[in-house]
Amino acid sequence: MATVTSLRPQFKASPYLIGAGILFIVTFIYAVYLKVTLGYAAFNTTNYGVFWGFPIVVYDYFLLTSVGLALVAAVPLALGVRALDPIAKRCVWLAIAALVGGVAILFMELAHPLRALWATPLNLQTASPLFWKILCVGAYTIVLVLTALALARGARPGEVPRPLAILLGLLALAIAAIAGSVYGMLVFRPFWYGGELPVVFIIESVMGGLAFVIFFTYVAYGMAPDTVPQGTRELLAGPLGVALAVAVLLHLLFTLARTVTGLWSYGEGMQVWQYTVSQPLYWLGLIGGGVVPLVVFATPTLRTQPWLQIVGGFLVAVGLLASRYEFLINGQLVPPFKGSWAPSLLEYAPSQFEWVLFFMGVFLANTIYAGLESWSSTRQE
Amino acid sequence: MTKWGMVIDLEKCTGCQACTTACAMENSRLPGEAWQDVLFYHEGRYPNVKVSWLPRPCMHCENPSCVAVCPTKATYKTEDGVVLVDWDKCIGCKYCMIACPYGVRFYMDEKPVVQPDLREVFPGDGDRIWNPPYRMPDHLADRKKGIGIQPKGVVSKCTFCYHKISKAPKGVADLDEDDPATREYTPACVRVCPPKARYFGDLDNPNSKVSQLIADKRGVRLKEETGNKPQVYYLAGGAAPVVPGERSQERG
Amino acid sequence: MEAGIAGTSRRRFLAATGAGSVLAAVGPRLVDDSTSPGTAQAQAAPSTKIVKNICHQCPARCGIDVYVTDGRVHAIYGTPDHPISNGKLCPKGPLGIYVLYDPDRWKGPMRRTNPKKGREEDPKFVPVSWDEALQMVADRLNALRERGESHRFAILYGRGWGASCAGLLGTFGKLYGSPNIPIGHSSMCSDGSIIAKKATDGNAGYNAHDYRNTNYILMFGCGFLDAFRPYNNNMQVWGYIRGQKSPKTRVTAVDVHMNTTLAAADRALLIKPGTDGALALAIAHVILTEGLWERSFVGDFIDKENRFKTGQTVDPTTFEEKWVKGLVEWWNIELKDRTPAWAAKVTTLRERDIVATAREFGRTRPAMAIMERGAHAHSNGIYNAMAIHTLNALVGSLFAEGGLMYQMPPPYGSLPANADDYMDDYAKNGPWKQYPRIDLKGHPDGYLLANNMMQEVGPNHLAGKPYKLDTIMFYLTNPIWTAPNGQVWERALQDVFVIDTSPFPSETSHFADLILPDHTYLERLQDAPTYPFEGYPLTQLRVPAVKPLYDTKYFGDTLIEIGKRIKGPMGEYYKKLESAENVIRHLAKGFEKNPGDNGVDSFEKWVEKGVWYKKPYLWRQIRGEFYEWDGKGYNKPMTPEEVKAKLLKTPSGKFEIRSSLLEANADWIAAKTGRNKANLMFPIWEEPKHPGGGDLYLVTPKQALHAEGRGHNIPMVIAHFQPIVGGRGEAFAEIHPETARERGIKDRSWIKIRSSVGEIRVRCRYYEGVRPDTIVLPMEWGHWRGGRWSMAVPGGHSGECTVNQSDRITGQCNYYTTKVFVEPA
Repeated sequence: MATVTSLRPQFKASPYLIGAGILFIVTFIYAVYLKVTLGYAAFNTTNYGVFWGFPIVVYDYFLLTSVGLALVAAVPLALGVRALDPIAKRCVWLAIAALVGGVAILFMELAHPLRALWATPLNLQTASPLFWKILCVGAYTIVLVLTALALARGARPGEVPRPLAILLGLLALAIAAIAGSVYGMLVFRPFWYGGELPVVFIIESVMGGLAFVIFFTYVAYGMAPDTVPQGTRELLAGPLGVALAVAVLLHLLFTLARTVTGLWSYGEGMQVWQYTVSQPLYWLGLIGGGVVPLVVFATPTLRTQPWLQIVGGFLVAVGLLASRYEFLINGQLVPPFKGSWAPSLLEYAPSQFEWVLFFMGVFLANTIYAGLESWSSTRQE
Repeated sequence: MTKWGMVIDLEKCTGCQACTTACAMENSRLPGEAWQDVLFYHEGRYPNVKVSWLPRPCMHCENPSCVAVCPTKATYKTEDGVVLVDWDKCIGCKYCMIACPYGVRFYMDEKPVVQPDLREVFPGDGDRIWNPPYRMPDHLADRKKGIGIQPKGVVSKCTFCYHKISKAPKGVADLDEDDPATREYTPACVRVCPPKARYFGDLDNPNSKVSQLIADKRGVRLKEETGNKPQVYYLAGGAAPVVPGERSQERG
Repeated sequence: MEAGIAGTSRRRFLAATGAGSVLAAVGPRLVDDSTSPGTAQAQAAPSTKIVKNICHQCPARCGIDVYVTDGRVHAIYGTPDHPISNGKLCPKGPLGIYVLYDPDRWKGPMRRTNPKKGREEDPKFVPVSWDEALQMVADRLNALRERGESHRFAILYGRGWGASCAGLLGTFGKLYGSPNIPIGHSSMCSDGSIIAKKATDGNAGYNAHDYRNTNYILMFGCGFLDAFRPYNNNMQVWGYIRGQKSPKTRVTAVDVHMNTTLAAADRALLIKPGTDGALALAIAHVILTEGLWERSFVGDFIDKENRFKTGQTVDPTTFEEKWVKGLVEWWNIELKDRTPAWAAKVTTLRERDIVATAREFGRTRPAMAIMERGAHAHSNGIYNAMAIHTLNALVGSLFAEGGLMYQMPPPYGSLPANADDYMDDYAKNGPWKQYPRIDLKGHPDGYLLANNMMQEVGPNHLAGKPYKLDTIMFYLTNPIWTAPNGQVWERALQDVFVIDTSPFPSETSHFADLILPDHTYLERLQDAPTYPFEGYPLTQLRVPAVKPLYDTKYFGDTLIEIGKRIKGPMGEYYKKLESAENVIRHLAKGFEKNPGDNGVDSFEKWVEKGVWYKKPYLWRQIRGEFYEWDGKGYNKPMTPEEVKAKLLKTPSGKFEIRSSLLEANADWIAAKTGRNKANLMFPIWEEPKHPGGGDLYLVTPKQALHAEGRGHNIPMVIAHFQPIVGGRGEAFAEIHPETARERGIKDRSWIKIRSSVGEIRVRCRYYEGVRPDTIVLPMEWGHWRGGRWSMAVPGGHSGECTVNQSDRITGQCNYYTTKVFVEPA
C-alpha cells in the first residue's frame, strides 16, 4: 500500500485504476459483442467515400499524443534539460497508455491486424508511408517499453541511456511526420495535400503531449493542486505552459492559414472548407482548443492558476480531437468518382460501435496509465 | 511485354450499365460493389440540362497510387500491366481506397447496399463472405489475384477479368468479343457492351486496335494531374472527357 | 412424365450439340491461336457447356448463351450468331442468373386454405401434387361447361412467347368455349401504336425498323436508349449509326424528362405531356409549306407548284396523290393552321426548335419517326400516334431502305392435330357464343375497335357487367398490380377462383386459390418468334440449361395437361398434342422446307443454334415503287393489288391519312366521344383529358433495368435502377426544384402523391431535367407482395394513384396522363 510522502505523487491508485479498468472491460465486452453480431456493418464507413471513420481519427489522435509525450520526455531524457525531470516519467507512462489505447482501437477496426504484423515487415513496400509508419510504431513501442523499464527500475531521468532516449525522440518525430505524410502525399485530395503536413503533425503532437502532461499531473495528484510539489507547479506554470502556448499558437496559425487558403481555393474538393467552417466542431477545435488555451497559457497571471491550467489542458486535448476529426473525416466527404450515386457531400457520423470503441480506448489508456503510475509508485516505495 | 489496356468510346456509350451487370455476374459481385460502374452527372437548368455519363472500370494505372501506398504489397501490378489484390496479404486498412483517385476499390464487409443482405441469404463458408449458387466456378477463382468471391475483411477491385485475359494466346494484339478466337478471353464488360463502346488489347503492341484508336481518335486519360497514368483511355471526339466536379453542380 | 420431357430434351440436346457447344479446355490445353483461327473456344473447365436460350426480361428475345459448369448456371452472354443479340446484352441480360436462383420462387404447386382474400390476409398455402392441382382445375372447367357457363372462365396473359405457350390459348378458348380465352395485355402495353398503324397503313402491329440505314430518327416518347425494344439491339444500332456510320445519323428525341435517350440525342425536346400530336402536326405543316415531302411516295401538285400556304385551303383536284389518301383534305380540314407558332403554345416548346426539327426531318432521307406510349397513352392517343406515323408517309420511309416495315412470321410446321376436328357441339354452338368478352372489347358498350381491354376485366367483374367470372387464370401478367388503380382489382379478385402460373410470388398469387408455377426461363423448352425487329422472319428457342430446380411445370404443358382432362373431343385434341415439346418438334418441321440462313432445318439444329432466321425482308419501296425480292435483289415490281395484299393493307391500298377504319366507325366514335364526324378520321389535334384532379402530370416510365418489371426482386437491379438521379436502392420521384420548393419539399425527402383514386408515399430527388409541371416516378416498386428484396424497397406504387382511363378508340390505357397533387409527407 502506498504511503503518502511530500516527495512522492499522491496517487490514489485503487479507485481510479479499478474504475477505469471496469469501464474498459465493460466497453471492451460490448465492443466485441457488437463486432461479433454486426461484423463490419457496425461501422458507419461506406464505399461511397468515408473509408476511414472515427476509430481511425481516435487511433491517430492517440498515436500522435503518444509521440508528442515522447517528444516532451525526450527533452529531459535525451537533451538533458534537467528542469523537466519531474514530468519525464509521467510523459513516458502517458505515452505508453496513449499508444496502447490507440493501437487497441486500430486492432478492433482493422480486419486483419495480426496479418499486418508479419506482412508489413516481410514485404518491404518502401513506397508506402503506412509501411514506414507501421515499422516506426513497432520500433517506437520497443524503445518506449525499454525506456519505461529503465525508468521503472528506479533510474532517474538523467540515468536513462542517452542513445535510447535519442532514438525515442527520433522515432517519435518520424512517426508524427510520417503520419502527416500519409495524408499530405495524396495530391488528388487537396483538402489533405501539402508538404507542410508533417510539420503540422509534429507541432500538434507536441501540443497534445504538453496538454496531456499538464492535465494528467493534476490527475495524478487527485485533482488537488495544493498537493502538487512546488517545483512541478512552477514547471507547469512556467516553461511547459509557455511551450504549450507557443504550440497552440503555431497550430492556430496553421489552421487559420489552411482555412483561409482553403476557402479561397477553387479546386475540386476544396468546397468542403465551406462545409467545414459551418460546423460547430470546427469552431470547438479553433476556439475551445486554440484561442482560449492560448489566452490562458500566454497570459502570466492566468497560466499560474492551477484550475485554469487543468481546464486549458483539457480544452487542448478535446480541441485536438475535434481538429483531428474534422481533418480526417471532412477530407473524405467529397466522394471521388461516384457520380449521381452519391450526394455531392457525403454525410458521416460515428456509429454506436465507433463511440464504444472510442470510450474503450479512453478507458484502456486510463487503466494503463493508472496501472503504470501505481506500479511505479509501489515499486519505488 | 503485353500491357493490357482498354479504350472506351464515350460517343458510342449509351449509359446502359450492361458492363456493370455483366461484371457483377462474371465476377460474382455484391450490389454496391461496382467494380465496373457508370457514373452519371447532370448540370444546367431546365430545359437546357446536360446529362452525361462515364463508364468507370479500374484504370489499371501504369503508376498506381494504390500499389504504392499498400503497406503489405497486397496490391500489386502484374507483368502484363494489371493491378490485382492478394487477399492473403490484404489487412483491410483501406489506404488503397483512400489513395485511389478513381474510386474503384471496395470493402464489402460494411452495411449492405440492398436489403435483405445477400450475405445472409447466401451465407459464406469461411473462405467467402457470401456464397450464391451462381458464383464463379471454383476453378477460376484465385485468392492471390483477387478473383472470385473475397474472404472477410479485404479490399476488392476490378481485375480486367484476369481469369480470362491471362489465358489469352500469347502475343495477341486485341481481345475482341467479335472474334471467335478471342471472345472467351475478353473481359465481361467489353464483351457485353451493346454499342461496342469498349475495346481491349495490348497497349504495347503498335498493331492493336486500342493503340490505333488512342492515336486516331485522340484518346485521353482521366485525372492526368495525379500522375497515375491510367491504362484505360477515353474517346470523346478529341475533346477531353469532361467529368463535372461536384462543384460544377453548385448553384451560383 | 414431366421430368421425362426435360430429361429427354436435355439428353437430345447434349447429343445434338456435341463438340460445337461444349467448350474446349484451357490452361494446359489452351488452344494455340495459330492453329485455330476463327474456331469457338473458351476458357472453362471441360465440364462447362453452353446452352442456347433467349432472355425473358423484356420482349426483345435476345439469344443468350447460358454457361453451365457442374450443373450450375454462372454466366449468361449474348449468342454471337444471333441477329438480335449478336453476342451482346443489355444490362438486364446477365441478371438471368439471379432469376433462376431466386430464393423466393415457388417450390411446387400450392393450394390456398384461407378462403378470405385481401392484402392483409395470409393465403395459408399448402403444397399440392400436380395431378391433384390439374384435376382441380379440370373439374372446375368441366363443371362450368356442364352448367353452360364456360364463358365465365378467363385466361389473362402478358408476355406470351410463342406457339407452345400463349399460342395455344386461342385454340383452348375455341375448343372449351369461352370468349375470354385469351385476353391479352396489349391495351396495357402499347395498342395505341398498333391501332394507329392499323388505322393508317392497315397493319395491326408494331413496326420493324431498318435503323442501320436511316439518316434521321425522330423519337416520340419511346425511350430508345432506356427501355424501347429490342433495347440491346437498339444500342448496337446506336453504336453503329452514331459512332461508325457515315454520315452519322441525327436524332431528335421528344419526352417529358431528360432520360438517357434525350441526353444522347442531338436535340432534346421536353414536351408537355399528351401534346406530341401537336408537334407532329406542326412538323407536317412545315414539310408541306416548305415543299419537303417525298413526292415519289406522296404525290405532287399536277403543275408542281406548291399550294400549301399557311391558313389557305387547297383545291384537292390540283394534287395527285400516289401512295397516300386524304392529304389535301387533311391540310384543308386540319393542317393549314397547325403552324409551329401554334404548336409552340400547345407543347410549350420553342417555335425555332419545332421549325428546325421539321426542316431536318423533312430534308434528310431516309428519315423515320418512331413513337410509343409517351405519345399515345392519352385520351387523344390515336390522333397523336396517327399524326406521328403520317410523318413517315410524308417522307416516304414506309417499306423503304432506312425506313419502317412489318414483321414477317416464321414458317412453322402445323401442329400434331387440327383443332377444327375436335370441336364438339358445345364448342360450335354452345351458350357461350352469346356472351361478349368480359372486358367488352369489340363491343359497342365498351371498346369497339380495341384489341384487348385487360384493364377493364377487374372493374367489369367487380360490377358484374357484363357478368361475373367464375375462374381466372393468369399467365405472365399481374394486373392487380400493373393495372391502373389496381386497388379495384383487389376487391374484384375476392369472389373469383384465381389460378396463377408465375414462378414467383406476386400480388396475383396473393389472391390465388391455386398456384401452378412455371419453370423460370433457363429451365424451359419454349419457342418464341421474334418481336418486330428487322422484318425478315426469325424465331428462336429456349433450351433448358439445367433441370428444373423445383417441382414446376412449363405453362404450355400445364395448359395441355388441363386440356387432356376436359371431357369430350377437346381432351382428345390435347392428348394428340401430347406435350409442349411435341408441339415444338412439329413447329420445327416447317424448317425442313425452309432452312434458316444458319443451317437450321430441324428441331435438333434449332436446339443447337437456338435460332432460325431467313434474310432478307421480302419487300421494299424504292422511290415510290414497290419491289419484291427475287432471290438476288429487290427487282420484281409489285402491282398495287400486291402492295395492298402484302404491305399497305387498307381498303384503299394506300397510306390513309383519311382513315377508312375510323370513318367506317364514325357514328360509334362520335357517339362515344363527342367528336366531330367531319374530321374524326384524320390525324387531328385534340386536347387530352387529364383525370385525377391534381395540378402535376404523373408520368411513370420504364427504366433500362425495368423493362417488364421482371427485375423487381433482383438485388442488382435495385442497386442500379435509376442512374440519372442516383436511384440506388429505390425509385425516386423526379421533381423539378422550383416545383418542389413551391410546395415546401426538400431534396431527398418523402412526398405524398395524391390523385382522385389514391395516395402514395415516395422519396423525391430534385432534377432540373424534369418538366416543372410533371412528376416522374418509374413504375417498379411499391410491391406489397413479391420477393424479399422487392418488398423491402421503400416507396409506394405509381399505379395506386393512376386513374383507369383509356383511349376509347385504341383501348390504350392512359398511364401517363393522370394529374396529381404533390406535397411533403
